[in-house]
Amino acid sequence: MLEAFLFVGLPYTAVIICVAGSIYRFKTQPYSYSALSSQFLEGKKLMWGSVPWHLGITVVFLGHLAAFLAPDTWRLFLSSTHVLYTMEAIGLAAAILCALGLLVLILRRLTTANLQPVTTLMDLVVLFLLLIQVILGIMTAMSVRWGSLWSTETTTPYLWSLLTFRPDASFIAGMPLLVKAHLTGAWILLLSIPFSRLVHMFSLPLEYLFRPPQKVVWNAHPHHGSLKAAEDKEVTRRLFLKGAFGLTAGGVLLGIGVLDELYRFFRGPRLTQAEEADLLDVTQKRLKKNAEEKALELERLRDESIFVAKLSDLSPTKGKYFIDYQMRPALAFLGADGLPQLLSAKCTHLGCTVGSEVNAQGRLLCPCHVSFFDVTNGVPDAGSPAKDPLPKLGWVLVNEKGEIVLSRGPKGEVEGTLLGHEKETLSVHIAKRYVEALT
Amino acid sequence: MTKLKGNDFIEKVRTEIDQRLPLDMLNLGDLMAHKEVPKHRMSWAYYLGGFTLFFFIVQVVTGLMLLFYYKPTVSEAHASVEYITHQVSAGALVRNMHTWASSLMILSILIHLITTFAMKAFEKPRELTWVTGVALLLITFTFGFTGYLLPWNQIAVNATKIGLQTIEQVGHYLPGDLATWPRHLREIIQGEASVGQSTLSRFYAIHVVVLPFLIFGLLGVHLLVVQLHGMSKGVDEPAKGQEKFFPFFILKDFSAWGIAFLALFLFALCLPFESFFPYPLFEPYDALGSTPEGIKPEWYFFFMYYPLELLPFWLVMLGVNGAMVVLLFAPWIFKGSSRKTLRFLAVLAALYLFVMTVFGDKIYHLVKGVGG
Repeated sequence: MLEAFLFVGLPYTAVIICVAGSIYRFKTQPYSYSALSSQFLEGKKLMWGSVPWHLGITVVFLGHLAAFLAPDTWRLFLSSTHVLYTMEAIGLAAAILCALGLLVLILRRLTTANLQPVTTLMDLVVLFLLLIQVILGIMTAMSVRWGSLWSTETTTPYLWSLLTFRPDASFIAGMPLLVKAHLTGAWILLLSIPFSRLVHMFSLPLEYLFRPPQKVVWNAHPHHGSLKAAEDKEVTRRLFLKGAFGLTAGGVLLGIGVLDELYRFFRGPRLTQAEEADLLDVTQKRLKKNAEEKALELERLRDESIFVAKLSDLSPTKGKYFIDYQMRPALAFLGADGLPQLLSAKCTHLGCTVGSEVNAQGRLLCPCHVSFFDVTNGVPDAGSPAKDPLPKLGWVLVNEKGEIVLSRGPKGEVEGTLLGHEKETLSVHIAKRYVEALT
Repeated sequence: MTKLKGNDFIEKVRTEIDQRLPLDMLNLGDLMAHKEVPKHRMSWAYYLGGFTLFFFIVQVVTGLMLLFYYKPTVSEAHASVEYITHQVSAGALVRNMHTWASSLMILSILIHLITTFAMKAFEKPRELTWVTGVALLLITFTFGFTGYLLPWNQIAVNATKIGLQTIEQVGHYLPGDLATWPRHLREIIQGEASVGQSTLSRFYAIHVVVLPFLIFGLLGVHLLVVQLHGMSKGVDEPAKGQEKFFPFFILKDFSAWGIAFLALFLFALCLPFESFFPYPLFEPYDALGSTPEGIKPEWYFFFMYYPLELLPFWLVMLGVNGAMVVLLFAPWIFKGSSRKTLRFLAVLAALYLFVMTVFGDKIYHLVKGVGG
């Protein structure tokens, strides 16, 4: 019953009284159709109260209007969370501006001696009503979030139902008390318009926005110059205020953006489980690789000889990379004598790794600075940046039983004999005993 | 009573130092009120130090931000850089800004150096400004060299290897036991026989702790003496006028910084620094694989790199070290030179740097093509 009155009866009553009362007041007291300026009684606080209030309420009103007039477009517009956050932030900021402005206005009305004679009870009532309404709006925005979105499905259809004379309060029946209070407040405010200074909003002087600035100069000297000076001063002030406002607004926006990014940067990413898993997978692979490298190092520190390749796997034209005792890359080939040929693959110029392909001239190429090395003895070509030959590495041939059958040191000293039938089963190793000789 | 000769000498040293470091003039309000910037055809050069400072500030901020996520280990460095690039919000932007601003910082330092030389800004009593400036240049190059290794990718590690190997090459020209000293020096720098975890740890420490300490100290001195002495005259003819540093020039400086920041931001947002290199160079470093082709140092080392590729090693080393000495002692070597002479030399140096940096690759291929 109460709800039916508040959300159906009250709105119609308010609208009727508002329209009829405003017309009546315009007809009977046309000169009262204003906000009854008190600027010349008190101007400073008025500026800090009235400007934020009007600025804020205009923005807030436009937001409400958009959700009411074009709910579908509005919803589409807000479908991006970035836009939604931005709009909500702008709305909230404007509402806070309203509240602050109203506070200043209330304090001004209550404490300025000059104003006491011209302040009516209705002025105070309206100010407090507006403040309550703004605070209710801010609370709604804070506790029942994303009102710019949900209002398109609730309050907008409710308002349209009123407007089309098919009142349906069920759209808002389930709303929180806060929202209902905000709605009721709106109707009461509408009702109070013809009885208060609020009526001035129907005489909104839009053309003021586009006319050149004017200043009333009290007790102006009849001389034209002082008027001109006063005007100039006003223009400069205006320019400065505009500039300062623009800079502040830009600075605030930039600051918000930067802070937001910084916050997110330092908060770190919140990964989904799948992303986390991918990341761990990569990390683990790298760690494994690192562990393998360490294993190689350990092997080289401990073992007397290290497997390089099966003798039968070696080729004379395509080298097989392996890691020598100093953890440097090296290459294994099959020499013309059918025995292994092991060369360091670390370029003697600047330490790049030499390529493994033997070209038609029997040369290996270092890709960094185009040095060519003879594959048979590691000697660089005359024009190459590298001057020293690639060091030869000693090797041992080991049979299946693990016995050393044949060995050749880095200087070419051969020990042991090779029986032809063994070749298939032999494997090539590098040996620790040749390491000292190499360096 | 006659004064002792020793006292005279001490007195002389004192006045010499006083002239160069007039700390009694250190009064911020006074400096702000009186510092003026001359207006003439070279006035634009007065912005360059400010630009360098601006990019340095960007480096400090973005560097600190990267430090929050970077892991200086061989197995995780590359992964952490990838994490910054792909996972952290705005991480790619921050990292890009760091790489772009490093290049821009070096570029503005080089132009700053050349223009101050051409304007004879090192004239007495500004020798200290010049010498600290040259030291700052060296520190910045070291920043570039050490920072390059940190992502631990193919190009970084291999280029670092080559860079360090150049030290060892000096050994070929030294007699007897001295010949091994460069190798020892190199091993001290890299911490082990070849570039590995120790190198990464050392470069990391140098890049994020040692060099920042050094640069903050030196930069402090550099900026202090600039404030104390004010702007140098810059040109021989009388200036068209003077402009108050505060608030006029500093405002212009700040707006120039604003534009620089916008440009840097856009670059960093749209162009990853890596987009100028073939991709495999940015894979994690593989200690057992072969060196990929196209390994080159950063562009700001080209002026040394291409001559090293083309000319005998000793000649280039001699040239580079000679140039360093000349640069360091320029205030005394060019004491009597006219600005006209200095401008000519500066244009020559700028031309050399420009040609080697932009056309170095073409020259290299041209010479190699004809020679081989």
